[in-house]
Amino acid sequence: MDTRSSVRKDSSFFKKGDKTLNKKQKGLNIQAKQQRAGWYFLAPATILIAIMSFWPMIQAFIMSLKTGSSANMQWSEPIFYNYTRMFSDKLFMRSIGNTFLYLAVEVPIMLILAILLAQMLNNKDLKLKGLFRTCVFLPCATSLVSYALIFKSLFATQGLMNSILVHLGILESNFNFLGTAASAKAIIIIALIWRWTGYNMVFYLAGLQNIEYSVYEAAKIDGANGWKTFWHITVPLLKPTIVMTFIMSINGTLQLFDESVNLTKGGPANSTITMSHYVYNNSFGDSTTNFGYAAAMSFLIFVLVAILAAINLKVGDTRD
Amino acid sequence: MKKKILAVLLASAMVVSLAACGGSGSSDSSDGSTAAPVTSDDENTLTVYAWDKNFNIPALEAAAADYKENVNKDFNLEVIEQSQSTDVENAITLAGSAGDYSTLPDIVLFQDHWAHKYITDYPDAFQSMDDVDVNWDDFSQEKLSYSMIDGEHFGLPVDNGTVIFAYRTDLLQEAGYSIDDVTGCTWDKFIEVGEAVYAKTGKYLLSMDGDGNDLPYMMLQAEGESQFTDGKPTFAENEKFVQIIDKIEEMISKNVLYLANDWSAYTDQTITNDMVAGVMNGNWIIPTIEQVSENSGKWEITSIPTLEGGEGYASNGGSSLYITANCEKTDLAKDFLTYTFGGSSATYDKALTDGGVITTCISAGQSEVYNEGVEYFGGQPIYAKIVEMGANVPVIEQSDSHYGCRKQVAAAIINIKDGAKTADALKEAQEQVNFEMGN
Repeated sequence: MDTRSSVRKDSSFFKKGDKTLNKKQKGLNIQAKQQRAGWYFLAPATILIAIMSFWPMIQAFIMSLKTGSSANMQWSEPIFYNYTRMFSDKLFMRSIGNTFLYLAVEVPIMLILAILLAQMLNNKDLKLKGLFRTCVFLPCATSLVSYALIFKSLFATQGLMNSILVHLGILESNFNFLGTAASAKAIIIIALIWRWTGYNMVFYLAGLQNIEYSVYEAAKIDGANGWKTFWHITVPLLKPTIVMTFIMSINGTLQLFDESVNLTKGGPANSTITMSHYVYNNSFGDSTTNFGYAAAMSFLIFVLVAILAAINLKVGDTRD
Repeated sequence: MKKKILAVLLASAMVVSLAACGGSGSSDSSDGSTAAPVTSDDENTLTVYAWDKNFNIPALEAAAADYKENVNKDFNLEVIEQSQSTDVENAITLAGSAGDYSTLPDIVLFQDHWAHKYITDYPDAFQSMDDVDVNWDDFSQEKLSYSMIDGEHFGLPVDNGTVIFAYRTDLLQEAGYSIDDVTGCTWDKFIEVGEAVYAKTGKYLLSMDGDGNDLPYMMLQAEGESQFTDGKPTFAENEKFVQIIDKIEEMISKNVLYLANDWSAYTDQTITNDMVAGVMNGNWIIPTIEQVSENSGKWEITSIPTLEGGEGYASNGGSSLYITANCEKTDLAKDFLTYTFGGSSATYDKALTDGGVITTCISAGQSEVYNEGVEYFGGQPIYAKIVEMGANVPVIEQSDSHYGCRKQVAAAIINIKDGAKTADALKEAQEQVNFEMGN
């Protein structure tokens, strides 16, 4: 950056002064042209993102300041009515609580499992490595809706899990897993772990490939055991990957929607509803078509995601 | 060499897929030019959105055939099938939000409980039907109350949501009771019968969807009351409603009522899986009951119990036809609807035989077809009975927030079951409904 600006200064200096340096000037023009070409290449994507993403965001923000039927929306009175309103909405507060519960329980378990699996599958001497890796990754290939529906039938009162547990004598009679608040939450978390562990494992596997084997050899020579090598070599060297998966998982969990809608419909008695599900309910679901309020709540989710991601980046920053 | 072959393969695969994309793209656009307009240029053709090819679409086709044969030889009705009723609601929301009603067909079939909300939210989307020549007195007044706002008619009824209580007479008998014992009885008596049935046969006398619980609404309507008073939800203050919730809790604890987790569990797990000895819901539930063919002849229908005793009547669900703002052939549409669903026996008889759609039009319900016995229900002429019961359903205050309210009351019932106090849970539900309504 610094060098470029100094060159530019020089060029303007020469422009005024000496015509014999024409050659050099031409070269600089090429550089300027290249820069412009760069912008041309960026332009289509930038324009598309602006039209498809940023413009709707601005529109959504404007909408979040309005109330009423979507055919005839009025500026709300006071202007931040929708925003102040949500803090007295008990159901929305509960949906935030549920989402953060999923986040606090599911993300650490999932990431620890993923890193352990990656470590195991990165073993040089492991046979059928490809097969195992595929098996762990495979849940990611299923669509969100279909896996949610499969979990729903697995844990139904007359479902497979119930018959297995009853036959094994663990349960006395069929238990309504999805109809009881605590177990319904647990099942959503189990489903999430099943679906996303393999996905995160792939990132760790990629990260592990980048760690030189010689580092491990050196550690071995120094007499470090398996746990020490894992904790003092693998984890620090994987730090950027861990931070990335953390941000992605937090982001994904805060926007959790499909599982809540398809697995439990937010029930029983709204005990498993997530923020995004509640936003959906307020715009297209059983409740009123309250687009302004729903847009305002989406913006709160947006702010929450941004704050959490910022904290994470700060904590995970390796630069001094 | 290997790499080269791979490269060639990849390249050809890309070309093929690109060509396929191009091909499908162009065929899409040519299809689009014919399928895109939701209305027709032909002056004798009307278009309509409907969603159930086993239920309301045959009824519309019956009406079209009737009108074509007896009134207008060139008439043509194009039914545009939607996958579910919410598609129609979303179409109105979309058109209303964009302020562009040209995406709507001439006529839409619309769910009754949503109608008030959509007519008030999108007043420009529907045309008034106040000036049509229909004998409104010949219809169930309760049904008409859904499609009327401030006395002005906006829609014409198609089907009938009258609540039936169907019982397995053989199981009642096993427990030492008959259908007469549960006709016009109190809910207390009903619970007594239910306990006996569960003890003898292991079957629940009633089941319901615990997520969208229709029971409180239907039970309260049978008492002639609404969950709303002057547009506001009144749960905790309404003595009868509190009593009803207590009865529901008693039924759950005594194994008389089984609450399924959601709608599909309600229909599949409890009804078609033969878990119950009784079904109470809008009469559109009949095809679901009939899916268990081995129980043919063992069912009979009657009215529902009430708190103080006496036959209770209620209505749940159903839909009506509305003319949209986009319809330019308003006269034709009005004439078609008036002639057919306004009271033509030919239309309603065929709608019943082809789709099982029962009318709310009292005179049309007296035809021969309606008085035939139904084998599945032990030869009982259930259709005539349903029309007759429908005329007795009390008109109660309807609300835009019907479904939002239903969800919160269902949540309250589950919370009470799990240990919350009735008054607290109802108060919480009421606050939430008030909040959603912006009160």
